[in-house]
Amino acid sequence: MTPFQLAWRTTKRYRLRAMLAIAGVTVIGALLFDMLLLSDGLLTSFADLLTAEGFEIRVVMHEGLSRVPIPGAPAIAASIAAFAEVDDVAQIRMEPGSACVAGKQPARVTIVGRTQSRPGPWRLLSGDNVPARAPDGGCPIVIGKPLANALDLRPGSPVTLTARPAAATVIPPLPCRVSGVVDFGFNAVNELTAAMPMNAFERLMGEDHPGDAELILVALRPGADVPTVQHEISTLRSDLRVYSTEDVVAQFNRNAFAYFRQISAVLSFLTTTFAFLLIATLLTVSVNHRLGEIAALRALGIARRRIAAMLLWESALLVGVGAVLALPVGGVLAIGLDHILRQMPGLPERLHFFVFETRALVIHFVVFLVTATAAAAYPIWLSATLPIAPTLRREVVG
Amino acid sequence: MASPVVEARGVTRVFPMAAGPVTAVNGVSLHVDAGEYVAITGPSGCGKSTLLHLVGCVDTPTSGSILFESRNVAQLSESDRSRIRLTRVGFVFQRFFLLPMLTAAENVELPQSEAGAPAADRRARTHELLEYVGLADRRDHLPSQLSGGEMQRVAIARALANRPALLVADEPTGELDEATGDHVAELFDRVHADGTAILLVTHNAALAAHASRRLTMTSGRLGA
Repeated sequence: MTPFQLAWRTTKRYRLRAMLAIAGVTVIGALLFDMLLLSDGLLTSFADLLTAEGFEIRVVMHEGLSRVPIPGAPAIAASIAAFAEVDDVAQIRMEPGSACVAGKQPARVTIVGRTQSRPGPWRLLSGDNVPARAPDGGCPIVIGKPLANALDLRPGSPVTLTARPAAATVIPPLPCRVSGVVDFGFNAVNELTAAMPMNAFERLMGEDHPGDAELILVALRPGADVPTVQHEISTLRSDLRVYSTEDVVAQFNRNAFAYFRQISAVLSFLTTTFAFLLIATLLTVSVNHRLGEIAALRALGIARRRIAAMLLWESALLVGVGAVLALPVGGVLAIGLDHILRQMPGLPERLHFFVFETRALVIHFVVFLVTATAAAAYPIWLSATLPIAPTLRREVVG
Repeated sequence: MASPVVEARGVTRVFPMAAGPVTAVNGVSLHVDAGEYVAITGPSGCGKSTLLHLVGCVDTPTSGSILFESRNVAQLSESDRSRIRLTRVGFVFQRFFLLPMLTAAENVELPQSEAGAPAADRRARTHELLEYVGLADRRDHLPSQLSGGEMQRVAIARALANRPALLVADEPTGELDEATGDHVAELFDRVHADGTAILLVTHNAALAAHASRRLTMTSGRLGA
């Protein structure tokens, strides 16, 4: 009979106690698991969104990716495109506008213009992407699903776009045609967006020369060293801010996400403490309940280390089963909480607060392993140091 | 003359208490020879169980010495004393103290497993002992499914599992009715007849009458 078998039999015998302990650990473990997913989830999700755009470097005028036009953006973009490590450069401009189709209320939209040779920064859902340049007189656009739903648009549908709200502009509307429906990674849940080639965007804005982009996205060739290219771009002009994806994530981590990390760290500590107290209390009560039994075992010559190992296994069984059950419970809870948190206005639709990572799983089990060991420490000490003769006597007299 | 399995020489055991020290055993000398059957009787609180714990290597004396098979118990480590209890002493308790989650057979097997006996030997010895105490057909029953007398017989089988030199029993019939107590007394007779030394403490005069030597204890002192 190994210590594990003894622990297993004990757990089975005191079934109700074991079930209560496991239920407690499961609930606490689910919360801990969710806190671990939350601690890095938003950041991981944000990094995934940036990576999914397919650009490794972002160039802006000021700190924090602010939307300020970059003077001389076309010339800078051309210089960047000339670097050997650069695969593609996209200049991005954004302006408010409105979209009209016959028989529907005009919709306020964000209009995006971009120059580049390859698709993006978005994911095509249906239809075709827009070309790098619009044909003369043409205005091909891609739209997000919310706009497609709002105006009942699909690939091939005509739509008229107007720069800025129609009532406040004298620039004539531009007839466009939907090429495709796309997923704009950073769009909020109900944000209405249309994107088009930059030459069509300039026509829409009534400009007769290329405007200044607010953002320049740079895609590198495979194997290119990001910091090296970053440095090369920085030397083009001292007023540029050049960020790698890692820089952007780090900046958001410092400015926006540290709050979540701190909350999750505090809650993780509290939940772990609850798990420790729960198991330590249950095991201590259990050992106190079985003092006579344990004293008798020691009187029979059963070694202290075997009794200690049995208690450790008891703790490990209760905590282990609870910790494993906590994963699906925590997973379901995370999905529900993620859904609630993502309803916050202005958040990108594809941004998640709870993101599964192997790291979270490893930490979850390490924390519970330590908790199980720590929780068993006092009951083990109790059983190892109990005076055999007085305990047996107390049991008989009692 | 048989050599003593255990010998107490001028043993005193004092328990420090909040209200002042209590001398449970006071200058007691005793020996139990190999194959001998000794019973100690006396009123409650006279120190019988304390003396039994000292002789059974569960406790150590405040003064005096206990020699178990010529080894001074007080000079042994807890680990060595534990080994003696496991392999040379068999304990029978008033309240049986069988592990409630193990079957009768598993309870008997536990000390053998701790002593490192091979699985096949353990099984054979357990079967032999359960037959010996008349419970072979109850081997797979949990203690909760056994009567008090049956539990005590399993406890005796467990105490004999590692072929001890000395069986110590603390009020082994204390929780049993008279008829059941008689069956347990007969079982002790068989154990004794098979050559195992027995030291038991009891209130039960009928049980004590089975011993080859009877001693009386009063206020921590032993008399003939």
